Amino acid sequence: MTWLTWRQHRKQFLFAIIGLAVLAAVLVPTGRSQYRAFDGSGLAACLRTMGETIDYRLADTDCHEPLERFSAEYSGDFAPAVLLIFLPLLVGLFFGAPMVAREVERGTHRLVWTQGTTRLRWAVTKFGLVGAGALLLAAAYAALASWWLYPIAVAHAGRFDYLAFDVQGIAPVGYTVFTVALGTFAGTVWQKVLPAMALTLVGFVGARVAVELARPNFLPPVERRFPVVAYTFPNPMLSDWILDRNVYDASGQVIVPGGDVFCDPPCPEYDPAAYNVHLYQPAGRFWLFQFIEAGLFVALAASLLALAVYRVRRRIA
Amino acid sequence: MSTAFETNGLGKRYGRTWALRDCSLRVPAGRIAALVGPNGAGKSTLLHLAVGLLRPDAGTVQVLGETPAANRALLDRVGFVAQDAPLYRDFTATDLLTMCGKLNRRWDAALARERLGHLRIPFDRPVGKLSGGQRAQVALTLALAKRPELLLLDEPVAGLDPLARREFLQTLMGSVAEEGTTVVLSSHLLGDLERVCDYLILLQAAHVQVLGSVDDLLAGHRVLIGPRRAEAKVPGSVVHASHTDKQSTLLVRTNGQPIHDPAWTVHSVTLEDLVLAYLADASAGALPGPVGIEVTR
Repeated sequence: MTWLTWRQHRKQFLFAIIGLAVLAAVLVPTGRSQYRAFDGSGLAACLRTMGETIDYRLADTDCHEPLERFSAEYSGDFAPAVLLIFLPLLVGLFFGAPMVAREVERGTHRLVWTQGTTRLRWAVTKFGLVGAGALLLAAAYAALASWWLYPIAVAHAGRFDYLAFDVQGIAPVGYTVFTVALGTFAGTVWQKVLPAMALTLVGFVGARVAVELARPNFLPPVERRFPVVAYTFPNPMLSDWILDRNVYDASGQVIVPGGDVFCDPPCPEYDPAAYNVHLYQPAGRFWLFQFIEAGLFVALAASLLALAVYRVRRRIA
Repeated sequence: MSTAFETNGLGKRYGRTWALRDCSLRVPAGRIAALVGPNGAGKSTLLHLAVGLLRPDAGTVQVLGETPAANRALLDRVGFVAQDAPLYRDFTATDLLTMCGKLNRRWDAALARERLGHLRIPFDRPVGKLSGGQRAQVALTLALAKRPELLLLDEPVAGLDPLARREFLQTLMGSVAEEGTTVVLSSHLLGDLERVCDYLILLQAAHVQVLGSVDDLLAGHRVLIGPRRAEAKVPGSVVHASHTDKQSTLLVRTNGQPIHDPAWTVHSVTLEDLVLAYLADASAGALPGPVGIEVTR
């Protein structure tokens, strides 16, 4: 069965490796120059010196100038990063969807399931090996993307924000395993390759959007309050994921919805008692959230694979 | 005589439609059985039930004394070629032999290589690039190299030209003769199988209509030709009658009873006529089912 799986899927893996090499050929040189600029602009060093809060009485503690220098060169590079979120989908479409669907579409399941082996062994070996291959591939591109994205992510909205979170760490590995399982399951339901791919696409988008909406509430957000009129305010470069921000006056009425205000004293425009409120997920929870996200998708993948094995054993002829 | 393949009240349903219903039959070991019936009669369903691809919704199926569903040990002893001889088209014959060698505990690699070599089938070309006849031979070789006790072939010659059909069946017979393998071959046309089979299963509209050894069936039926009469009184039962203005032709199941009426000229029947007569009249029910035939054995 191992030999058969390798023989059947070796071309797919070869193409995937080529794809990975092309991706690396794009990301490694751009990443290297990005890191050079990250260090050369002084941004990397500056970010290391920043504390929990910024004090405006001290010169340049907000790393404003190195950030400007860095952004001048690399602000545009965040856009192609969006494409990276589709990598798990590609793997799911081309590894997962044909796994069962192509066999049934071409009738070859009747060849292989009538040899001296069980469907359980067939399914477990094939799903297991192809899934493991997809997982290795995902680990490679997730590591590549994490490394590449780090400077622009910390220089902009932070690593925890939407899109940045989704292409770094172990989350893409979870998405990939999930999408392969989804494609496999879809192929056992609609036993043709193209419809199975369509189901995979719809399921992937649905699951990703649903979890994206749930993610802010994986853990209860933390609240912080700090005055509008002050010399110090929280460091915005910490990659905290700020979910909601509002400015209140002394009586607790919102005076600036969806924003925050900092004003050096003396500040005639604002009541000294006015304060900002942030609802946020602290940057320190980044990896915890990565594990929750990946775990959620791996659990979904496990259930889908179990269903796919059941359908292979009992529902397809 | 031991039984290679037996069903009792076997039924399989797709949604509300029964693809096979109340199917009771028995194929003795060592027979070459033709499974004949029009398209959609349930032939593939019956074979898929026999090889464990499907599970019955009613009744039982026994193959070599075992229940086929999820039975790995049995799959070692049964060779199966599905309709259209599905193969991984990008695999070479060598790849396919390696695959089956690894998947089966009982596998005669030498037999497979020898057979393909004898048929001059290229080992190193993707089988998708071979002719239909060669692909069918590769598929048959994969099944034969398991040295099966029962060989099930679903429409094995349907896609082949007449020459390739003949060659395929000849080589098949050559391969199974020595081993005494039981074979069940399906076809919607009897013509393909008439020369090779010695047992007949006729399926029509999800039911077994005729079952028995070819010799017994031929001995038990007669064609009577005589002047047209309003009511023909003949021993046995009329399976099929056709009339011209002056003359009637009856295909009668006599079960060996002699025809004494001198008005009839009695002819023996060919298997093809017999099958066509039964197929022409599914509702005739002239045959009192498989049980009657079994008794005569």
